[in-house]
Amino acid sequence: MGSPVYIDALGPTGPYRSRERLPLTSLSGARIGEISQVPALYVRRTLAAMRGAPVVPAADRFAALEKAADLFLTATIGGLDPEEYIRLVSTASGVPLGVVRQSVDWVADVLRSQRDTVELAMPRGAVGDWRDSRTLDGSAVWTRRGDLFAVHAAGNTPAVHGLWPEALALGYKVALRPSTREPFTAYRLVSALREAGFPPLALTLLPTDYAAADVIIAEADYAMVYGGQDVIDKYAANPHVLPQGPGRSKILVTADVDWREKIDIIAGSVSHLGGTACTCATAVLVEGDPEPLARALAEKLHEIPSLPADHPDAILTVQPTESVVEVDRYLRKVSADARPFLGGGTIVDELPSGGSVLRPAVHLVDSSTAPQLDVELPFPCVWVGPWRPEDGIAPLRDTLVLTAMTTRTDLVDALLDEPSITNVYLGDNPTTWLRPGIPHDGYLGEFLMRTKGVIRTGV
Amino acid sequence: MCSAILDLTEDTSSVDPDEYISALMKWHFSAETGSPYWLRRARSLDFDPIVDVRTFADLSLFPNVINEFREVPVEDLIPRGLHGVDREVAGIFESGGTTGAPKRFVMFDRWMDFALGWDEFHYADLGTMNTLAIAPSGPHMFGEFASRRARRHNGVKFTVDLDPRWIKHLIARGDTDEADRYAEHLIDQAAHILTTQSVGILITTPPLLERVARRDDLVELVREHIRFICWSGAHMDADSRDIVKQEIFPGIPLKGLYGSTTILGMSRERPEERPDGLAVFDPPSPYIVFRVVRPETGADVEFGERGQVVMNHLTKYALLPNNLERDTALKVEPLPGALGCAVAHVRPVTTFDDTAVIEGVY
Repeated sequence: MGSPVYIDALGPTGPYRSRERLPLTSLSGARIGEISQVPALYVRRTLAAMRGAPVVPAADRFAALEKAADLFLTATIGGLDPEEYIRLVSTASGVPLGVVRQSVDWVADVLRSQRDTVELAMPRGAVGDWRDSRTLDGSAVWTRRGDLFAVHAAGNTPAVHGLWPEALALGYKVALRPSTREPFTAYRLVSALREAGFPPLALTLLPTDYAAADVIIAEADYAMVYGGQDVIDKYAANPHVLPQGPGRSKILVTADVDWREKIDIIAGSVSHLGGTACTCATAVLVEGDPEPLARALAEKLHEIPSLPADHPDAILTVQPTESVVEVDRYLRKVSADARPFLGGGTIVDELPSGGSVLRPAVHLVDSSTAPQLDVELPFPCVWVGPWRPEDGIAPLRDTLVLTAMTTRTDLVDALLDEPSITNVYLGDNPTTWLRPGIPHDGYLGEFLMRTKGVIRTGV
Repeated sequence: MCSAILDLTEDTSSVDPDEYISALMKWHFSAETGSPYWLRRARSLDFDPIVDVRTFADLSLFPNVINEFREVPVEDLIPRGLHGVDREVAGIFESGGTTGAPKRFVMFDRWMDFALGWDEFHYADLGTMNTLAIAPSGPHMFGEFASRRARRHNGVKFTVDLDPRWIKHLIARGDTDEADRYAEHLIDQAAHILTTQSVGILITTPPLLERVARRDDLVELVREHIRFICWSGAHMDADSRDIVKQEIFPGIPLKGLYGSTTILGMSRERPEERPDGLAVFDPPSPYIVFRVVRPETGADVEFGERGQVVMNHLTKYALLPNNLERDTALKVEPLPGALGCAVAHVRPVTTFDDTAVIEGVY
């Protein structure tokens, strides 16, 4: 990279560079630039100003979202053309270049499909605007529960920015706190949306520390927060916060299906996006002997080469060696009595170009209640275990995506009835399958909108 | 004993620093003038202060004794050499009490008046007016300084009850909602005073000033009536300071006092900022002297570098050497002739709470 990159706040009156800044570094430790850390006072004043601003009309919102998709993909923003931006994300966050590209395309697709997504999410009894003629006879109108939506974004891959644009489409004003590790996508996306027509008070970027980040959540009407189990616990009782925590996605293979034909789908579910997504499979439960599957999965994942993140063929994530060593140490601790089939020695593979690859790990556990099955780590790390019909749904609970490779319809019914399973994919669909318009954690509209009864004359 | 050099004076240019330190050691460690606490404590020091401490630099021989002030009876802190008006006590003041039991200090009237005068020039043109203090009351010196400030302007002090320890207790317990309600309760009371009374000087802490700034009606009242805002007792980061000065209360002098109960006083904000816009704080040397050190080694940092702040109170009224504060700051060239250094860009020691949470993907 050439000149230093400054991630400024994007506030009510444009970019704001605070005196308090943190360094942005690449995996090799090289200085990339600096990210502003705005004080709580700035946060509060920004949110107050946003609250006082008018809502952008729906037609303008959808037009701007579509235009922003193009800008996000093609424009030079903040001095970075698309290729420079993608490379920067990869070198700074260690996400493989190909994964970054894929994620960027995904975000653009999401922006383009908001018109449809909002339509799909709206209850069938409702209209989107009270002016609709259906309200003359009485109708539900879909309305916002609040005005301000806050997002604490994560930096895993740019794809995490595929969820919150739905709030913008619904007419919420959005305050986005970027990840300090990878703020580039948030900056680029907010800039693109502003350039496409969203006024500054409809969408702000507020890089800040933990304390002021809490202020963003407290002052907004609703919020989405990415984090670990600690974040889930912190906001569990707060109905205004939608936490995005560990996915603990799983695959279940019942005895009526031959897993040997599915091994590529299973391996892909584990390694997709370098294993860093909440949709990546953390556990595979098998009816019958799980050991051959563990062995075959280990062989598949073993084939993936270790490459620098910015290599076009890279699949695995690269991180600073000391953090990879720490992850490895943690893996040793939690794996305990689980039998390793891959990554049993170490997952650390140091690269000559700096940083270390997180190599995949496959472990076999002896029971469907083994605690390891819930341990989600930020790399392709999978726990394989046995499942029996009499174990029932219990081992499959608390799962973002469950891929059930089964032909048993009664089991499918039970999975869909289980409240703690968020998405159910059947057959040959990897846990990582996504499509704009299909909910990931419900439609955001379910969280942010409500219907109101409206009947009118004279207006 | 001749201790004239220890008498407080506005113009310290003629005070020889080494002579001052030597006289100070004689005062605090001689049986006829020292306090029972220091005379007792001297026995367990591995050096002789009168012999070995002859310069400001030699003060680093002293251990940081500040934690002992949690238990010492305050009578033991009074130097025996103080008599008459010198011996008049303004109050017993306590540290915040954030970490364990509070530390207790004797504030002498003469010293307090001198300390109050240290930033007097900021107020020179204000004339007669009342003061509103939204600041810690009770055993905290902040409230008494505000009372004295009001008297100097021939006005009265309006104030509210403020128990900072209760707020800290609530926050430590994780009850931020209750802490919030308490703080808003303070602002409600201050609002009533601002609405009904004539006030020209506002003395408060940065967090409370921010709360005032959140209410549009109060911002209007402050802009209309307040002629001077003094903050102390907490940090105001440089970015927030810019916003307050430029956007919220433009044109109203905003001056900070950076100090601590553990040194019985404050440093004042320089009239002129640094070229980078940062405020600089000067302590009243040689009575209060700052150092900025590397936390690992205790060695002084270079001018312009950041380090941890060490504060010293060095008067005949008290000896409080080597207080390592929980702040970091940039070391800045002191005023001509002053001991130690000035400081800028003060902020709390970063408590790195990024304890690696490994599980999960975010």
